[in-house]
Amino acid sequence: MRSSFTHRHAPWLFPAPAVALVAVIIVYPIAYTGWMSLHEWFASSLARPRFIGLGNYARILLGDPRFREAVVRTIYFTVLAVAAETVLGVAMALLFNREFWGRGLLRTLAILPMVATPTAIALVFVMMYHPTLGVANYLLTVVGLSGFRWTYSSQTALYAIAVVDVWQWTPLIMLIALAGLASLPREPYEAAHLDGASTWQAFWHITLPLLRPTIVVAILFRAIDALKTFDVIFVMTQGGPANATETINLLLFNQAFSYFNMGYASSMAVALFALVMGASLILIKARRTAAW
Amino acid sequence: MTARPLTRRRFLQAMTAGAAAGPFVFTPARAQGFNWKRFQGKELFLLLTKHPFIDVLEKNIPEFESLSGMKVKWETLPEIQARQKLTVEMTANSGGIDAFFTSLHVEKKRFWKAGWYHPLNKFLDDKTLTSPDFDWNDFTPGARAGVTQPDGSISALAAFVDANVVFYRKDLFAAKSASPPKTLADLEPLVQKLHAPPATYGIVLRGLKNANATQYPSILFPMGGTYLKDGKAALDSKEQVAALELYTKLLRQYAPPGVVNFNWYECSASFMQSQVAIYMDGVNFASQFEDAAKSKVVGKVGYAVLPSGPGGHFSPIYITGMAVSTQSRSKEAAYLFAQWATNKANMVRELMAGVGVGRTSTWDSADVKAKPKMPADWYQAYQASLKIGRQGLPEIVGVTEYRDIIGVAIQKGIEGAPAAQVLAQAQKEFQDLLNRTES
Repeated sequence: MRSSFTHRHAPWLFPAPAVALVAVIIVYPIAYTGWMSLHEWFASSLARPRFIGLGNYARILLGDPRFREAVVRTIYFTVLAVAAETVLGVAMALLFNREFWGRGLLRTLAILPMVATPTAIALVFVMMYHPTLGVANYLLTVVGLSGFRWTYSSQTALYAIAVVDVWQWTPLIMLIALAGLASLPREPYEAAHLDGASTWQAFWHITLPLLRPTIVVAILFRAIDALKTFDVIFVMTQGGPANATETINLLLFNQAFSYFNMGYASSMAVALFALVMGASLILIKARRTAAW
Repeated sequence: MTARPLTRRRFLQAMTAGAAAGPFVFTPARAQGFNWKRFQGKELFLLLTKHPFIDVLEKNIPEFESLSGMKVKWETLPEIQARQKLTVEMTANSGGIDAFFTSLHVEKKRFWKAGWYHPLNKFLDDKTLTSPDFDWNDFTPGARAGVTQPDGSISALAAFVDANVVFYRKDLFAAKSASPPKTLADLEPLVQKLHAPPATYGIVLRGLKNANATQYPSILFPMGGTYLKDGKAALDSKEQVAALELYTKLLRQYAPPGVVNFNWYECSASFMQSQVAIYMDGVNFASQFEDAAKSKVVGKVGYAVLPSGPGGHFSPIYITGMAVSTQSRSKEAAYLFAQWATNKANMVRELMAGVGVGRTSTWDSADVKAKPKMPADWYQAYQASLKIGRQGLPEIVGVTEYRDIIGVAIQKGIEGAPAAQVLAQAQKEFQDLLNRTES
C-alpha cells in the first residue's frame, strides 16, 4: 500500500527536499528582507523594530539624493563596463576563432584575469593607480603623456574602476562568444562566399545575427554581475572620492553595517533586487524577439 | 566634561599623606579586602580588536591568568568585524562576551544608549573589587572624560589614548631655518616655504572621506569651531567655514597629487618616502617613522604639539577602553580583567612599546626613561597634547554617519567646491541625522 502512496505522490515527494532547501536559503531571506524594509530598525538600539509601512521606500524615492545618485551611477557604470566588455569580448572571440600558431596558449592567458580573486586584483590596481608611486602614471610619462589621477579624483574614479572591471570580465564574454561561434553552421558562409560577399559583409549579415542570442546571454550574465559590483569598488575607493563611486551596493552596505540602519538598508536591497530583475527581464525579452 | 570627584580619590590622597589620616578612611588593613584570586576558577571570554595596544596586552594575558586563577579565552578581530560581531551578539542577547575592547570615539554613545556598557562606578568605589594601587585619578582628565557618559556613568577604563600631533622634517626645516608652527596663522606661510614639488610637498593630511574626519578637528578646534551648538548641528558656522577652507586649501595646493583619497596609510607612506615636509596625524604612527626597514626618514623627524588658533589650543584625542558587558554573567570577574589590563604596570609596558596611554604616572616611569623607544620630543609632544586633549569627534549615536557627511564635504572642498556651499549641505544632512538618532 505504501508503494502506491509513493507512486501517487512521487511528483511532490521527490522534489520536496530541494524545494524545502530553496525555501530556507533563498526564499526566506528575500521575504525577510522585504519584511524588514517596512520597518525602522537601528541594530544597536534597545527599541524594537517599528513598522512604518512604505516609509523607507518613500524616503529612498523622494527624500534621499544620495540614493538617487547611486542608482544613476550604478546604471551608468554597468552600461559603460558591459558595452566595452561586449565589443572587446566579441572581437577577441573572432580573433581566437581563427587558426594560428600559439592560439591555445594565448587563449589561456587571455582568460587568466577572470580566474583571479577580485579583492587581490583591486589591491594590485590600487598600487598601480597611485598618482606618484604607481606604475600606471610611470608608463604614461614614458610615452610622453601626463599622468592621470585615476581613482584619486572624483572625475575619473568611476572610469578607473570600470577599466578594472573590463580587464577582468572581457574574457567571460569572449568565452561565451567563442562557444557560440563554434556552433555556427558553415552553409550560410559558403553560400555568401559563392555570391561574392566580402568578409565584413559576412560578419555583419551572417555572424552577428546568428551570434545574437549568445551575445545577449553573455550581456545578461555580465549586466547582472556589474549591477551588483561590490568588492572591487569597496577595496579600491570605498565609494569615494566624495561618493563618486558609491553604487547602490556600497550605499546599502554603509547603511546596514556602518550606520546600522537595518530597515532602511533592506529597502535599498529590495530596490537593487528590482533593478537587477528588471534589467534581466528586458534582456531576456530582447533575446526572444527577432530583431534588435 | 570633568570627572566627578570620587570618594576613593580622597582615600588615595590620604594614603599617600600617611596613616595619620586613618580614622576616616580605611587603614592599609583594608588592602586585604582586595584579592586578585577572588574569582579563581571562573572562565572569561573577551572580544578584542586588532590594535597595537592589544598586541602588547595579549602577550601578558597568561600572567593575568596565574595572578587571578581564572581562565581567559579571547578572540581578536579587525575593528570593523569586531564591531559587527559585538552588535550581533549583543542584539541576540547571547551573554557570551564578558569584556570587550571598545573604540569610544565611535561607539561611546551608541553602545551606552543600547545599554551594552556595564557602568563601572560602583566597582571603582568598591574597595574589595578595586586594587588600592589602581588609582583612577592617575588617568588624565581627557581620558577620564572620554570614558564618562553625560549621566556620569563610567563605561570603560581608558586604554590607548591617541592624540593628534605635528610630524615634521627637521632637516628640511633647518635648511629653510624654519620652526614648527606655533599658530594656525603660521601654518600656510610655513607650508608654502617648504613646498618644492615634485621632490617635496609642503604638507599631507588625510583626504579620504570618513578617515579625514579625525584630522579635521586639528584645524577646526583651534579655529574655534564645534560640532554642536545647544544640541543642534553647527557645521555652517563661520569658524567651520574658515577651518574647512584652510584644511582643503592646504591639501589642494601643497599636498601630493591624489591626496583626496589618502587614508593614514598613503599619508604616512608619502611621509616615510621623504616626499612631504609636514604631516599631522595620530601620535602612534610615529613608531614606523623610526623603523629603518620601512622609513627613509629615520632620525630626521621632529615631533611637536599642534598649533593654537583664535579659538584656543587643543589636541583632538581618541580613546579606546576596556569595557564590561551588561550581558556578562561574571561582571565582577570581567572588571578584574579590565582593571588589570589598564593598571600602571601594563600601561608602562604599552608606553615602552611606543603605544600612547593616558596615565600620568607612566610619564615619569624609570623604565620608560631608561629605554625610550621614541625620541625625547615624541614623549614631550604627546604629554603636552594630552594636557590640551579634547574628544576629537562629536559624542553622538551616529558617529560613522557624521564622519561620512563631513568627509564628503572635505573631499568636495579639496576638489575645489566653495567651503560655505559644501558645509551648508553637510549641515542639512547632519541635522537630519541628529533628528533621526538623538531624540
